[in-house]
Amino acid sequence: MLVRALYLSAIWFAISLFATLMLGARLRRSNSALSLLWLGVIIIAGNLIALFTFGKFLEIFGLSSIAFLFGLLWIIRLRDWNAPGQVTWAMTLMTTGLFIFYTFLLTAFSPLNPLSFIFALLFFFLEAITLLLALAHMHESLDVICRVRWHRLLDKLDPHPDYLPMVSLQVPAYNEPVDVVQKTLDSLAQLNYPNYEVLVVDNNTPLQETWRPLEEICRKLGPNFHCLHLDKWPGYKSGALNFAVTQTDPRAEIIGIIDADYEVDPDFLRELVPAFANPQVAFVQTPQDYSDHKGDVFSESTYRGYKYFFEVSMPSRNERNAIIFAGTMGLIRKSVLEEIGGWDEWCITEDAEASLRILMRGYQSLYIKRPFGRGLMPFNFEGLKKQRFRWCFGGIQILKKHWEVLMPWANWVDPQNKLTFAQRYYYLLGGLGWFTDVFNLLFAFFLVLGAVFGLLSSPIQVRPLTNTILVLPAIFLFLHTSRFLWVLRNRLKISFGMALATMYNFFSLGWAVTLACIQGLIQREGIFLRTPKSKTSSRAWHAILVTQWETIIGLICIIAGFLVFITNRNWRSVSLCVLLFWQGSLYIAAPIYSLLSIRREAAKASRITDQGRPMLEQRAARWVVVLFMVMIAAFGLITVLPSPSELPAYARYLPIDMAPQQLLGQKLGSTKLAMATVSIQSTHCWSGPGGKYKQVTLLRRGQEAEILGRNADPNNPWWYVKIPDTGLECWLWGMAATTTGSVDNVPIIQ
Amino acid sequence: MQKMLQTEVSQLLEEVGQLAQQGEREKAYQSSLRATSIAPDESLAWYLRSQTAPSPEEQLMCLSRAYSLDTTFPDAKKELRTAVQTLLKQEPFLAYVHETEEFYQVRSGRDLLVNIPKNRAFDTPYLQKAPGLAKPAFRWLSLSLLALVLGGVGAVLLAPITAFQALRLQASSPSRGDRVRLWIVFILSVIIWLASIPISWLLLIRLYPS
Repeated sequence: MLVRALYLSAIWFAISLFATLMLGARLRRSNSALSLLWLGVIIIAGNLIALFTFGKFLEIFGLSSIAFLFGLLWIIRLRDWNAPGQVTWAMTLMTTGLFIFYTFLLTAFSPLNPLSFIFALLFFFLEAITLLLALAHMHESLDVICRVRWHRLLDKLDPHPDYLPMVSLQVPAYNEPVDVVQKTLDSLAQLNYPNYEVLVVDNNTPLQETWRPLEEICRKLGPNFHCLHLDKWPGYKSGALNFAVTQTDPRAEIIGIIDADYEVDPDFLRELVPAFANPQVAFVQTPQDYSDHKGDVFSESTYRGYKYFFEVSMPSRNERNAIIFAGTMGLIRKSVLEEIGGWDEWCITEDAEASLRILMRGYQSLYIKRPFGRGLMPFNFEGLKKQRFRWCFGGIQILKKHWEVLMPWANWVDPQNKLTFAQRYYYLLGGLGWFTDVFNLLFAFFLVLGAVFGLLSSPIQVRPLTNTILVLPAIFLFLHTSRFLWVLRNRLKISFGMALATMYNFFSLGWAVTLACIQGLIQREGIFLRTPKSKTSSRAWHAILVTQWETIIGLICIIAGFLVFITNRNWRSVSLCVLLFWQGSLYIAAPIYSLLSIRREAAKASRITDQGRPMLEQRAARWVVVLFMVMIAAFGLITVLPSPSELPAYARYLPIDMAPQQLLGQKLGSTKLAMATVSIQSTHCWSGPGGKYKQVTLLRRGQEAEILGRNADPNNPWWYVKIPDTGLECWLWGMAATTTGSVDNVPIIQ
Repeated sequence: MQKMLQTEVSQLLEEVGQLAQQGEREKAYQSSLRATSIAPDESLAWYLRSQTAPSPEEQLMCLSRAYSLDTTFPDAKKELRTAVQTLLKQEPFLAYVHETEEFYQVRSGRDLLVNIPKNRAFDTPYLQKAPGLAKPAFRWLSLSLLALVLGGVGAVLLAPITAFQALRLQASSPSRGDRVRLWIVFILSVIIWLASIPISWLLLIRLYPS
């Protein structure tokens, strides 16, 4: 029953998601009656499919009632969403919950040796966390696309002509080319605001030729422009910004942070400063935008990848007053910055960290979704990889430092902590979300090892590969990928091809994110990733070299998939092969983007803005290599250790699996022979339907037998089978085998 | 002796003030020099010397010293800021020397050692924070959780130890925050223990099938 419920729920999920992909962004009104009607339509549509294929009327009716009540609950809770969004969310939640329950039962009651069970349990926990993270991404997507009422999102603030407090704009610079900073300062000189100063803070730039000209530029731009060079300064950018606060004009009430490569619109201050007329507002953030994104797939997809955060994540967070200060193109109240003790010099994403400490004090933040300036993106894949490493590393640092204030009990521990539930959720997710790439790599390892051990005829017995386990994750993967592409297309207004390129751009950085997650957990201080250096002058070779790990992982996945495909062509092997190709493509995207990025202007690529302790990629990767070795050793041990030779009693609690043919409704009119295939390592065939009878023979995994009859108990099925070649007839326990063909017509043998 | 010195310094400081008001800048400077040599730890002496110092460099040095001796001296703080700004207009180079909770000490491009006020609340850096009272209990909790995902048997033993630790630490008069933390650890360890029983049973039936 559980498996049928799971499939029915998955059908509702799929129907509602695809309807949302088509209608979700168009329907701009929310109405409870309409939502209930829509919920009913989705449930009935799913029920009809189930009734004509695998469903049983009473079960469908019971489950539909539960689904309706569950949907109703979310319709009431999500009043600001439209009907497709509400129903899709309810169905996603229900299907994910049922699937987690199913995988737990499978883990708990599969006939496994003890080591296999421990691995299966670990795998279950990782799988459950991954599914919960996928749920969070689904929620964010639906929140921005299906939301019909925005309470806090603004394009423009109401003007406040009399409120013109002094603003100190701080421009941190490290090793920036003079012409780049010159453009930034020229744009700041054009600001349409009467009361501001600009403070250029150059920190640790080694060459005088690089920073000395900034002094002259500031002098030319007038008395409101000041320049500082800080030498041997600790704390990197945040250390420099903390010192800059001491040098701001005492009259300044607001501090603005502008990266040295940003050209700012003249209305930046005029439009944003009115937000601070409300004394509760502590910081305002605008989207980061870039001017150099046209011309090639790498730049375009990278640009869209950045936009995703400001078009999807930030609006959703803003609705709950949970945005982050993004480090540039934002304003912050000076008194609040002083109150929290300035920027944290320990964290390499000090901007996001500071925003959390501000929100903890109960202040308001505001996101204005209009960009007011354009900067420069990393010039090649190497730069992008290092930047993503830094962001992720900083995110993990924040999680390590502040995990306790994000816990559900945080307000009891410290009543001064004024973070709301939603703020804690978004900040926790912001840190944990990075681990998706770690789990993805572990999944790729699991698939590769599964394929290799399978090819060596000693399959890893960690979890029985039931039909449901092979079908549903593939459906989940497909639905979540479709959802991601849909959000990209919808929010960023891009073609399907560009959405696909952007998605691969995201995933191609998975290796860098994985390394950053591991290093973030281990290292105490901020580090930056140093990619391998090539001895040749070939840019193409260098591009490959900086993505050597991604290339190796991607090729291993693809070769393993290919070998599985050519050695065994049943549908299980094909599905394993598809998963391996998919995983491989995510990693192979890295060298492809790296090669594409070498077409960008070479001179610009010479910018060096890394700060912190360097960590060679090879050194950072050693933990992953160790993990892989441990997995090989453990899986090797699992295959050597004996599996249960007899079917254990606890296995009766395993959920009954369904054949793909049943899912497609082939029970009606099918003339194919009913066959049973042994799905566990080995099992006995008995002289009667139960373990108390005499053992007739031992059957191995994959061995097939024709089903001649069955017992009367549908919850504990036993198949009366005929063993090919030997002609023996005996009883095979249903939980130890999967079936194909028309089993419903098999006669019951008393 | 100490009292005599204090009286002399007070007289000198009064004298500096009066001479400065009368426009006798050189004489005032000489008196302030004597005051700072007699009482080098007197912030007012350094401040008054800064008011009569003949060069901006010396003025800056004196203000910096006055501020470092008394970080709550508002006039010294205010004028130090102005003096630093003037210095930076001529030479924007500053090298880090060290810092306290109150100020940075930097070396300027002209080789002057200057103290610069921080003007912000002090937040103990994360890595220097002393571990809280509840930390040992959290460590046991982490071990219990790890044991739970690794088959559960270890958690059957470790979770009660965690609960015991949490209760034991409750007795050592913790702060309100730590008291709540310890109760949370206690509740979580009970939950882990309850979850570990069926999971370890599932492992044990695989170890001993009969």
